[in-house]
Amino acid sequence: MGLISNNPSVRSYIYMIIFLGPALFLILFFWILPVFSTIFLSFTNMGMRKPNWEWVYLKNYMFVGAHPFSQKVAINTLVYVGATLAFNVLIGLLLAILTFYMDDRTSLVYRALWLLPRASPPVVYGLLWLWVLDSSEYGLLNQLLAPIYGKPVPWLVNYAMPGIIVINGFIGASFSLIVFSSALKAIPPDYLMAARVDGASELRIVKDVILPLMKWPIMFVTAWQTLSLLASYEYILIVTDGGPFFETEVWSLFAYHQAFQHLELGFGAALAMILVIIALIAVLIQMKLFRFREMITPVKIEHT
Amino acid sequence: MGRSQEIYIRAPRFGNINRILGKAVLYGVVTAMTLPIIIMYLWLFMQSVSEKVLIGFIPSGFTADGWRFLWGPVKFGEVLLPPIWPITLNSLIIALGVTGIEVSIALMAGYALSRLRVPFRDSFLILIIILHAFPGITLLIAIFYLLNVMGLINTLLSVIIAKAALEIPMATWLIKGFFDAVPWDVEASALVDGCSRLQAWYKVILPLVKPGVAAVAIFAFLAGWNEFIYALTFIFDPNLYPLSIHIIGLIGEFRYVDYTLLAATALFYSIPPLVFFVITQKAFMKVPLVGMKGA
Amino acid sequence: MVRVKLDGLSKYFGEVKAVDNLNLSIKDGEFVAFLGPSGCGKTTTLLMIAGIYRPTKGRIYFDDMDITNIAPKDRNVGMVFQSYALYPHMKVYDNIAFPLKLKKLPKNEIDRKVKQVAKLMQIDHLLDRYPRQLSGGQQQRVALARALVKDAYVLLMDEPLSNLDAKLRILMRAELKKLQKELEVTTIYVTHDQVEAMSMADRIAVMNEGRLQQYSTPDELYDKPANIFVAGFIGSPPMNLIDATFREDSGGYLVDAGSFKLRLEPGMGEVVKNNLTGQEIIFGARPENMEIVEAAEDNTIEGTVYVLEPLGRDLIVNVKVNDYMIKALTKPGVNLNPGDKVWLKVDLDKIHIFDKKTGKAVI
Repeated sequence: MGLISNNPSVRSYIYMIIFLGPALFLILFFWILPVFSTIFLSFTNMGMRKPNWEWVYLKNYMFVGAHPFSQKVAINTLVYVGATLAFNVLIGLLLAILTFYMDDRTSLVYRALWLLPRASPPVVYGLLWLWVLDSSEYGLLNQLLAPIYGKPVPWLVNYAMPGIIVINGFIGASFSLIVFSSALKAIPPDYLMAARVDGASELRIVKDVILPLMKWPIMFVTAWQTLSLLASYEYILIVTDGGPFFETEVWSLFAYHQAFQHLELGFGAALAMILVIIALIAVLIQMKLFRFREMITPVKIEHT
Repeated sequence: MGRSQEIYIRAPRFGNINRILGKAVLYGVVTAMTLPIIIMYLWLFMQSVSEKVLIGFIPSGFTADGWRFLWGPVKFGEVLLPPIWPITLNSLIIALGVTGIEVSIALMAGYALSRLRVPFRDSFLILIIILHAFPGITLLIAIFYLLNVMGLINTLLSVIIAKAALEIPMATWLIKGFFDAVPWDVEASALVDGCSRLQAWYKVILPLVKPGVAAVAIFAFLAGWNEFIYALTFIFDPNLYPLSIHIIGLIGEFRYVDYTLLAATALFYSIPPLVFFVITQKAFMKVPLVGMKGA
Repeated sequence: MVRVKLDGLSKYFGEVKAVDNLNLSIKDGEFVAFLGPSGCGKTTTLLMIAGIYRPTKGRIYFDDMDITNIAPKDRNVGMVFQSYALYPHMKVYDNIAFPLKLKKLPKNEIDRKVKQVAKLMQIDHLLDRYPRQLSGGQQQRVALARALVKDAYVLLMDEPLSNLDAKLRILMRAELKKLQKELEVTTIYVTHDQVEAMSMADRIAVMNEGRLQQYSTPDELYDKPANIFVAGFIGSPPMNLIDATFREDSGGYLVDAGSFKLRLEPGMGEVVKNNLTGQEIIFGARPENMEIVEAAEDNTIEGTVYVLEPLGRDLIVNVKVNDYMIKALTKPGVNLNPGDKVWLKVDLDKIHIFDKKTGKAVI
């Protein structure tokens, strides 16, 4: 590119601006700046209904502790993240191992089916569950269980949290399924052959050969899913919207409600800030754990 | 490895009867686990074309009534539902906008991070790695505030640009992975053969990463099409509502009135994702893995 | 086509000196091989000549023109990569035509040239295929055709034969050499295989750890290795290298390896004495210069047969002398068994003596 400049170092700066500039701009505006804005907002009493605002310093954070529901929300979040994670990993692992023993074509069909919830719009997936768990006699579960219970059960009232866990679990299990399936495929067939030659039963092979090799994928899925579960609330928003009476209100949804329903941007930001800090710490731990730094490979063509 | 060998390795070595029994249990368990998904999506389809669906998936009384929103206004008593096509157009604008911005920007950044020796490359890479694992949704409140200050709130552009921006680290990381897979020799060869770096990029490398870029483009499109939280938060004008918000409205108000209409609308909204999904399911199954090379 | 001159060429990757102060000239039309173990800097040098890597220090000249800062596309070099680096999305025809299209040659001329070079490389029946449909040998020919078609000033080859099977490799060796002589294109050929380098190149640059060890003709490299590295690297089976001391006594000059002593001719001894920095030497003798005799004579080494390696045409006899092993080359048919006591008679005209401290050859 003699057109631009013949000085190699000037040229590399120009390339940086052309190629990385747009991405950098968006990242600055939608990631870096928001982090600082969240900090800023969390120290104010800004609200959408109020024309003026003032600094309240740590008041919002103190109110987090004092809020009558924050303890409940925190416990909800722990239960939700923990249980959903367990559901994801266990179901995903079970499915991955079972489909591993099928022929390729069949296992592909099953994995594709499991990906359907992830591929279809969240609103539609949420709608499907609303119908399955419908409290009236028309809900699927109530139709199926009518012979046993006799009268319809209000699932999303009586069993709101388990419902939310299963709904999110089906989405997350597809992620684990893909990760685990690929990891299983990557196991050198020699290991399995050697174990069979040694006379191991299939159950033993799963226990002694396959599972130990799945340690890293399981850790990866756990780390990854913990973060996305902490932050995502879209399915809860659609299905229960945190109800009934804070039963399924998790931290991120709490922040959302405070900001956009009660229109308290400042308090919402303080709640979000706590999530941001947790997420940042988790990401840094992940980076160390999974040696992300090693993914930085050198450039092998120096001419630009 | 040959296919027959693979099957040979995987087939559990039971006796003949045991083996058939084992297979039956295997398929039985997996099918049972998958049943909720199968039934739910089957119901969606059946419900959209029948008056009533019995125990989940048995249709009774065929009707095209649910799809009447496609050709005319729908009225419930006093309430007139808005026409579907402008709403669909809003969804399409968001999806295409996200795709265009996200792919073009990620394509440039991914290429530079994979292939160019630019200043601060390593720092930028670390930033991308951190961000692509960081849940951007936690920043929603602040993004709302910033868009509001900028006067961009209540526009389709606000949804498009916020969605694209929050997807860019992931997209960049994916596209970088595709560029990484092109052997250095091939690019070096193009340079020796007389290409400038830019020519090598578009004559040799781009054709090789096209399938990957297409996959990322489809994901971007779906992310935009499926999006509802940003739309719910940033858009107040009903004329700008995309399909997702329209359906949330239907769920809230008319769930018990006309299930057929709701199912048909939901199915209509799901058509692009489902079609793309059928085309690119293999890509779907690979992509989440790109981030875990170091594991 | 052109002369190539490397002037103080260096390439550092951080602390690692991949190439360190390389100076050498290549004549117009010459076939030069860069030979060395992996990691010796030979490929790095080649990539600097192609313009893919930027030298840390030093200049590169084609004839008298300094091309150090010129873009690869403007250097007019042809290159064959170890992986061939064919463009997977282009048919063979388009792969070969690619450099010409970039030169914006008229279509009919491109067509003529592609067909001509395809015929030369005997791949004219493959032009319609994609690279993935070709065998390794065919891909190799396409890569070569692509490098040749543009009438490059310099032809660069990076281990082009290493991915072929043994038989094809020997065939291509002869073919490449013949082709190069016919086309008279200045050629730089990188390899770690000494047989390849010795059989094809006019001159060989032996490299190790980023430094040039010796740059001369194959014969000279074999007969007069400049240092211990070259002596050990060139030749198969390799030269016997034995620690010894050099000293002068009443009878003249002596090489003393402890378990044996060899008396040098006075003339040779003088030369050694004058060039040596100390007394420590490495004594070297090629296996074919060791004759196996059945009784002690002057200047023989006593040992026992350890193992025999029959190679068909030759027989390598491993003789254990004290705690080290000496290899001798002989013809099959001799009656030897492991455990036999033998004497090795050294051809004193053909021995090598290296200064242990500097590693350099003394004679």
